[in-house]
Amino acid sequence: MQQTLVAGVRESRWRPALFIVLVIVLVLSALLSLAIGRFAVPVSHVAGILASALLPMEPWWTPVEARVVELIRIPRVLMAGLAGAGLAVAGSALQGIFRNPLVGPQIIGVSSGAAFGGALAILLSESRYLLIGLAFACGMLAMVIVYSISRQQGRASILMLVLAGIVTSAFFSALVSVTKFVADPDDKLPAIVFWLMGSFASASYEKVWLIAVPVIIGSAVIYLMRFQINVLSLGDEEAHALGVKVERTRWIALTAIALISSAVVAAAGVIGWVGLVIPHFARMLTGPDHKVLIPAAMLIGASYLIHVDNVARTAIAAEIPVGIITALIGAPIFGLLLRRTANKGWTSE
Amino acid sequence: MKTISLAKLLLLAITGTVVSGTNADPITFTDQRDRIVTLDSEAARVVTIPIPAASMFMSVDGGTEKLVGMHPLSKTAIKDQILETFYPDAMSIPSDIAGPGFNFSPNVEALLSLEPDLVFQWGHLNDDIIDPLLNAGLNVALIKIGQEAFTRRWLTMMGAVTGNEEKAAKMISWRDEVQAEIKAETDKIPAAEKPRVLYFMNYLSKLRVAGGKSYNNFYINLAGGQNAASELGMFAEVGPEQVIAWDPEVILLNGFEKKLSPKDVYDNPLFADLSAVKNRRVYKMPLGGYRWDPPNQESPLTWLWLSMVLHPERFDWDLPRRMDENYKTMYGQGVSADNVKKILRFSMNKDAANYEIFSPDKQ
Repeated sequence: MQQTLVAGVRESRWRPALFIVLVIVLVLSALLSLAIGRFAVPVSHVAGILASALLPMEPWWTPVEARVVELIRIPRVLMAGLAGAGLAVAGSALQGIFRNPLVGPQIIGVSSGAAFGGALAILLSESRYLLIGLAFACGMLAMVIVYSISRQQGRASILMLVLAGIVTSAFFSALVSVTKFVADPDDKLPAIVFWLMGSFASASYEKVWLIAVPVIIGSAVIYLMRFQINVLSLGDEEAHALGVKVERTRWIALTAIALISSAVVAAAGVIGWVGLVIPHFARMLTGPDHKVLIPAAMLIGASYLIHVDNVARTAIAAEIPVGIITALIGAPIFGLLLRRTANKGWTSE
Repeated sequence: MKTISLAKLLLLAITGTVVSGTNADPITFTDQRDRIVTLDSEAARVVTIPIPAASMFMSVDGGTEKLVGMHPLSKTAIKDQILETFYPDAMSIPSDIAGPGFNFSPNVEALLSLEPDLVFQWGHLNDDIIDPLLNAGLNVALIKIGQEAFTRRWLTMMGAVTGNEEKAAKMISWRDEVQAEIKAETDKIPAAEKPRVLYFMNYLSKLRVAGGKSYNNFYINLAGGQNAASELGMFAEVGPEQVIAWDPEVILLNGFEKKLSPKDVYDNPLFADLSAVKNRRVYKMPLGGYRWDPPNQESPLTWLWLSMVLHPERFDWDLPRRMDENYKTMYGQGVSADNVKKILRFSMNKDAANYEIFSPDKQ
């Protein structure tokens, strides 16, 4: 622990450079992403379409090209970026407060809770707001269940939290199956199945707002708690000794994490591995200090998911589900990272 | 009674088709998993588990008497449609034998209580939905979906087990005739004049289109179009940008999504520049004795309808008359002008380009 903090401080003079690079990478990723797609739009036309939003100018592009860039690509890039940033922040915070590199939103039950809420919402109505509302409500409910199962004598041990998360996930997965079982197979069932598979293909500005507001609020809360999360990552005993209200802090952070995760699930389905891998990658660059780690993970996560979605939408005529690509890339990289970071970069006890 | 004469087996091995005798003789045929099925005599009590098989069976047998059980979703495809008008009794046929939803696992005890002579079941899904039927000692015929040839075999099998060989043969030769009739004309159409057609298997929840290996691809080509999505396999999800890149000239909407109508496409700002939208050539697929988009007993009507949708200037089939004639052959009852309008979904399609050519009251 001592060593890594020292290492983090030592690297601090490189921090401005690191963040400049990460921001440039994100901006370039977004611009590249706007310029590619199944429908050919020349780069100069894309540039013109973007510039015309700021300056009045005579169009040298066609209305179709403008529609593709403005109504399809921009919302899609924004959604992918926001989802990637949100998942990476949620994952960083979870790993910090649980002091466990194997924790992600899926493992503590939020994702399956949110998945059930969303499936139920599709069953009941066609409202997107109900969908995100129920996804969040059930994501939170899953978390409260995890809390009640794991809490013993006023506090919850890490092991019990993770185990309770597994139990709760299994239960909510079963509930998702129940909704599929009773859904009208003509329209509701395909809607549920496709929504669960997750994709940015149906991106729209409405969905951008649905994901942006919770992700920004949740990330802000987590960033404001960066010092408490640092202290929590030292261990409960130390945190108590340093005057942090462990339980309260942990649950405020968990609520913010649930908010982010359920918003991503509601807008784009369950996308695995991003919240697990990106924080590790970021930690290799920044060390374990959440003050630096959280913004770095956010920028890397956004760029990463934008590129993953580029592959998903352009590789072949058919859409490749984003979750498949993140799993294919994420699982092996995670294995490698685990080996490399086994003895460094993580708070060793 | 499971013994089969050597001659029949030999014939079976050579032709792979159905061999059967008169009423009292055992009936032997190979199903679509190449299993030999033998019935002691004509089937009087039949259960269909595959969803489209129920209405096809009614069309082959010209009624509901021999159908003693069907999938719950077969029933929802009949309810409020023309088949309920023809056969109101269909609604009282038990449907608790499988389901709910797209679940084809048989409820064996419910099935046994119906004492079926033969059960039709899917053969291309997993064997867990078949084994319980076989273990219960039931006669099972396995069928597959997807190709025109498969559908013809369903008709042959259903004709054989109910003693309707002639009618089934007639329904198959109708398919041959109409196919040849359309092909003779569409073969003459230069490739450049064949419109790009896109069939949406799903539209409301995700955009899912039919690729080059789908049955839809077969009849789009037959009717003188080209499948815009032929580079894909069966059914695949695509993004809106891909749809714009293909720029379909005609869009066909599935009959499964009840609420889906051409208006959903016309009102979508993403698709405002598509040729099909600008020319108002978005069509909801009709629903007659079954949905016209998947292979079914009424497929030739689908092909005729689509050829007129794609080439209104080239084709002038009298569709209402053909529907009436063939419904009389298949179901024993004809259709009124109102029936035709409902089947062809005039309420959704009436504003589409050229749709008045289908109007039964145009004379």
